[in-house]
Amino acid sequence: MQSRVGPAQWAMIAPVQALLLGVIFVPALYVFWLSLNKSSFGLAPSFVGLANYAEILADPYFWRSLRNTVVVVLLVVHLELLLALGAALLFAGGVPARRTMIAVMLAPYAISEVAAVVMWRFMMEPQVGMVSRGLAWLGLPQLEWAVEPMHGLLLAGLLSVWLHLPFTFLILYSARLALPNDLYEAARIDGASAWQQCRSITLPLLVPAMLVAMLFRYVFAFRLFSEIWLITQGGPARQTEVMAVYLYLEAFRYNEFGLAAATGWIMVLASLLLAIPYLRQMYKRMFAPEGVS
Amino acid sequence: MSRPWPIRLLRHLALAMLVLWSGFPIALVVVSSFKPPRDIFVYPPRWLFEPTFENYTGLVKRWPEFFHHLANSAIVAAGATLLAVSASALAAYAYSRWRSRALTATAFFMIFIRLIPPIVITLPLFPAINELALNDTHLVLILLYATFFVSLGTLVLRAFVDQIPRELDEAAMVDGAGPFAVFRRVILPLCAQGMVAVGVFVLVYAWNEFLFAFIFTTTKAKTAPLTLSEMTGAIDGVEWGVLFAATTLQLAPIVALVIMAQKYLIAGLTAGATKG
Repeated sequence: MQSRVGPAQWAMIAPVQALLLGVIFVPALYVFWLSLNKSSFGLAPSFVGLANYAEILADPYFWRSLRNTVVVVLLVVHLELLLALGAALLFAGGVPARRTMIAVMLAPYAISEVAAVVMWRFMMEPQVGMVSRGLAWLGLPQLEWAVEPMHGLLLAGLLSVWLHLPFTFLILYSARLALPNDLYEAARIDGASAWQQCRSITLPLLVPAMLVAMLFRYVFAFRLFSEIWLITQGGPARQTEVMAVYLYLEAFRYNEFGLAAATGWIMVLASLLLAIPYLRQMYKRMFAPEGVS
Repeated sequence: MSRPWPIRLLRHLALAMLVLWSGFPIALVVVSSFKPPRDIFVYPPRWLFEPTFENYTGLVKRWPEFFHHLANSAIVAAGATLLAVSASALAAYAYSRWRSRALTATAFFMIFIRLIPPIVITLPLFPAINELALNDTHLVLILLYATFFVSLGTLVLRAFVDQIPRELDEAAMVDGAGPFAVFRRVILPLCAQGMVAVGVFVLVYAWNEFLFAFIFTTTKAKTAPLTLSEMTGAIDGVEWGVLFAATTLQLAPIVALVIMAQKYLIAGLTAGATKG
């Protein structure tokens, strides 16, 4: 420690903290205030207490959007983790042209949700898209994403997995590379097979990294908006709405700012709840005596 | 390590599937953008064809504003990156070298606040931005994009600053340099790698972002992803060829950047993941 924390140090963190306070924190508090009011365009807000929350919790569309969100998050995060784990182990075992292969694996990370929707809609175009034809050729049913709500959600989920696999893959891959090599050597000397090494060394030691990746992906997948919005707009008949789409429609189509704000706070609370284990761990680590980083 | 051949075969198959899964949709769109429009849906697909720029000239003719929106994307991405990287580097230096309970509390706040979903804050920001006559400006998007990345940016850069030996700071301080001079002369040059990593994160996010651009821009500051979504939104008459040309132009620079910066990205992500 070189010197005491003084004005210079506060000045250094000021830009970051000012952005977070001004753009996220204060608006989020205001959303809470808004959620306790009846409010729409051109109308002065009037205090209604928890009535907005009660109204939302009685709205079947809200429950449907919650159910859709849970379905998509569970599908996306677990499928993604499974694929990422498989890919990480495969790459760690050595692959030809590693740098090029990793470059290809990373590429979807650079693609915008909109461009991804272009690609997947083209492949999935009923009757004429390449994947649709492939499915037909195999005698499998078509993915009727514009008509069948579950198919629409499935397509949005697949797209989301495609977009975020690079992130999860990289986390697990670098966690795998960080495992000490001598463990494996010792195991080999003891005559452990590749499968035994994987089961009793690699997998248990990767659990912390997998939990971190899973938690992050739960929190971020929960915000899912663009994929659904660009594929189905929540339709047909509001059947594929997820929570962020529900919020958007309440706010910007029906001008029900109070209801939208209440939905927003439900989303905030749900995110915090999901992240409690992570927050607790961070808190312990950061406020530990003689703070090890 | 020699593996029995069935295992080798399986591994190669798995690798091929993964590469196909990640790369095929991108390759398909890029290749199709050079096909004559009538060939795009031909089945079985033609992989050998005379490449044409027909779709690109079509794009110039029918969506001239797309190029203006690409330029907007570039301005917004550059601005957000500059702001986020410099703010993060400065904060990272403070968090790496000084410690107090109050300072730690602000660091915890920084992590905690990342949990708030972006769409939630659009509600109060929408009227506020209108009030300030800032809607449809680059500045709004720059501030929003930078804000949503300063937390991660600070964490990642802190991991990089932690690796710079303190003796270097101390030597400079003995020579009479204040903390800001140390930051400029010692810290910045030595955490350049980390700044590149964070810069790429922000660039990718700002270049591709849809939600905020969709809500806060209408014409002047509109970004390229929005134009793409409008092209797909034409319900019956999606002109696939033109759409592919636009998509290719939107994704090519950023994919190239990510591939070139692969090394920094992995280093940055590792630092960010281990530090939370």
